[in-house]
Amino acid sequence: MGESPDLISDLPQSILENILTRLSLRDAIRTSVLSTKWRYKWSTLTDLMFDEKCVAPSTDRAVVETNLVRFITGVLLLHQGPIHKFHLSTSFLQCRPDIDQWLLFLSRNGIKELVLELGEGEFRVPSCLFSCLKLTRLELCHCEFDPPKSFNGFSSLKSLNLHQILVSPEAIESLISGCPLLEFLSLSYFDSLVLSISAPNLMYLYLDGEFKDIFLENTPKLVAISVSMYMHEDVADFEQSSDYNLVKFLGGVPLLEKLVGYIYFTKYLSIGDDPGRLPITYIHLKTIELYQVSFEDANEVLVLLRLVTHSPNLKELKVSASPIQLFPLEEESFDLFERDYLDYKLPRLETVRMTDVSGIRNELEFIRFLMGTSPVLEAVVVTSSLSDKDARMEMVVELLRFPRVSPRAQLLFLQD
Amino acid sequence: MSEADMAIIKPEMMMKSYIWLETTDGSIQQVEQEIAMYCPMICHEVLQKGLGAGSSKNCAISLPQRVNPAMLSLILDYCRFHQVPGRSNKERKVHDEKFIRMDTKRLCELASAADSLQLKPLVDLSSRALARIIEGKTPEEIREIFHLPDDLTEEEKLEPLKNLMDDPRIRLLNRLYAKKRKELKEREKLKGKEVEERVDERSVDDLLSFINGKDHKVVKTSKSKKKNRKRKEHKNKVSHNLHSKQQGVQIVDETASSLGGVSNLPSMEEDIFSLKTDSEDGYVDDGMDPVLKEMLDREVEDFARRLNSSWVLSSGQERQPVHFSINGNGATRRLTAFQVMLGSLILLMVFGWQVPEFCGVTRKVIMHSPSSPHWWISTVKGNSRVRISGLTGTEGGDEWFDLFNIILDEASGLPKFDNVPANREELVRDDSTQAAERAYNRVERALTSSILSFLTLVAPMY
Repeated sequence: MGESPDLISDLPQSILENILTRLSLRDAIRTSVLSTKWRYKWSTLTDLMFDEKCVAPSTDRAVVETNLVRFITGVLLLHQGPIHKFHLSTSFLQCRPDIDQWLLFLSRNGIKELVLELGEGEFRVPSCLFSCLKLTRLELCHCEFDPPKSFNGFSSLKSLNLHQILVSPEAIESLISGCPLLEFLSLSYFDSLVLSISAPNLMYLYLDGEFKDIFLENTPKLVAISVSMYMHEDVADFEQSSDYNLVKFLGGVPLLEKLVGYIYFTKYLSIGDDPGRLPITYIHLKTIELYQVSFEDANEVLVLLRLVTHSPNLKELKVSASPIQLFPLEEESFDLFERDYLDYKLPRLETVRMTDVSGIRNELEFIRFLMGTSPVLEAVVVTSSLSDKDARMEMVVELLRFPRVSPRAQLLFLQD
Repeated sequence: MSEADMAIIKPEMMMKSYIWLETTDGSIQQVEQEIAMYCPMICHEVLQKGLGAGSSKNCAISLPQRVNPAMLSLILDYCRFHQVPGRSNKERKVHDEKFIRMDTKRLCELASAADSLQLKPLVDLSSRALARIIEGKTPEEIREIFHLPDDLTEEEKLEPLKNLMDDPRIRLLNRLYAKKRKELKEREKLKGKEVEERVDERSVDDLLSFINGKDHKVVKTSKSKKKNRKRKEHKNKVSHNLHSKQQGVQIVDETASSLGGVSNLPSMEEDIFSLKTDSEDGYVDDGMDPVLKEMLDREVEDFARRLNSSWVLSSGQERQPVHFSINGNGATRRLTAFQVMLGSLILLMVFGWQVPEFCGVTRKVIMHSPSSPHWWISTVKGNSRVRISGLTGTEGGDEWFDLFNIILDEASGLPKFDNVPANREELVRDDSTQAAERAYNRVERALTSSILSFLTLVAPMY
């Protein structure tokens, strides 16, 4: 043992905490055996992230579970000071009373960010969670969420992420409206949800599931929307109201910059009576990605067209076509491209990506429309799902015929 | 720096204005203004005190204490690179990675200096580098790198998660331990042997050799020495995992080395514990078969390692030879016949218990000790868990010591029971853990009450 002085223990606490937060929680706690000064240095860390890597691996699930529970309880008991972040992501823990106790402890220690990703199993969120009023971020996965009647929402919540949560729709709506500062909302894996979202500060919306009806009632600041909409087989459910869904959904988001839609989203938007023009122009919309658009359905194509033409600053467009049905619908509408949008220009469009193109009339006309209206177009990338070589060839020939307004436009044809 | 700043500074750049900085050792240097202004602290100083500050040698800006000239030049190099606005992120990252390659001492100094100059990106960079150094290393390696003193007592190391600071017993233990250590060192010097790596085991030996004495001889001998234990019995009941575990290991260690040795420990006048008076120097050769001795040594080492590693929350794969040293004092002090039993129990485990097919077999064995009802050892999935239960907790309940990855070699010979009650469950070979657990729980409950009763029985004996 030499005479060298201790290099590190006397650094200011802020630096040591900086170092300890960059270690995994296990390593950080293990520093407590280094020397007397280090014994409790870890105990004031405010961010605790737990997962099954915190304990020794084992083939026996029950062992890992017990160890993990013991570890977390031990850490919480020895911890000093406030805990701002608590992340628990493990499939090993499902439904245990210990979690309730931890949440109670956290609720008394000023928790701000809570992430609970448990394994499958209906863990019922305890009521102490609803008293954590300093929460700014809440993420729950595989839980049961049942707020008490007196719950008014989290007044500081900025980010809400609920995945596969068992909850009543009224509870979600009141939760969302009770969080005035909400900026990020993600709801996934829900069934048959009828939702009306009113969040004045909401900027990012991510929806994934089977929604019957979504109404963006008051979301003026939305910047990005991503919706994966699954549907019942019974489409008739949707065609109840005469409101144009496109207007209902996207009518109140003037600041939108990115729109992404999967599965039946475009179909959902197309339902209702088309009033002609859209009420607003999306000046900031730069990216549109609509997948699984059925080009056989004139209404869906119309939705696509309307969105594209009401976005003067659109830069990137990605569309994927859904496979053609066995009984194709009538293709009567390809003149709508020429009818209304003769002199239309898409002044900023640079990249277009069309995938799963089957070569039907509407698809080709759409591409022709784009190529004829985009003066700065650089690349049109087309991927086809046709297996028949001849049909593919035909399509390529057809595409090559289209006039291009942009001198730099390239038509790239990719094999699937 | 923002473009506005650059615009303002540009005309001054023409004149190449300099700022004078003074470090605590008195040396003053001249630095280009835009480079120095990259550090927020210097920037504030200049802005606060007006542009006169730092403009000449006389009114140089004095830097905080932690910034020595070497660090200052490093930091200025960093600033010189980064304050140029036209660099891409990738370039900056590459530069940072190269920049941060230095020995640990300088890294720590750099972090400290950057922090006092409030240069957050550099603080983050050096913290990241230090974290990279620390992660994944064993405590010994970390101590060596950073020259940390190894001043935790062995007990504290074993149970880092327990707050032992205020426990008077622990202070006592520490003192005893230190004393014993010193004595051993001296003795070793006399014997001329290499002591360092053996000191702990020795102290274990010597502190608990009296247990062995009791193991071998009639248990009553030891018991008779504890006449004044009546009052302490209650406190003895308060068992720590620590003590009992150490107990276990010490006892095994004991058996490994000096069966029959008698050691002299100074007797403790202090209230809580009375020392087992006869502790003494450990490594008395008792004429054991060396092969057996070696096997037992290995056993103990293993046991100790597992013990240590599990309590230091290290992963199962860690097989570093964490030096296992027990604060033997504690164990000695708390030695009761009950712990003697544990000793004999372990002894039997190691010596006289045949354990075929260890893996996947759940066994339950009742060890019966002369004056107590039951002892249980249950091994569940032999390669991973041993539960020694039956020691009393503070309320008289059970204490559980999960020892991970304990590997017991096969011993030869059958277990020796004496006075086994009729209703025992003996050597239950049970391949299903559940059944084992159930039966185990049953006995556990019985054990709780029986231990209590045992202790009350035992108490009057002293």
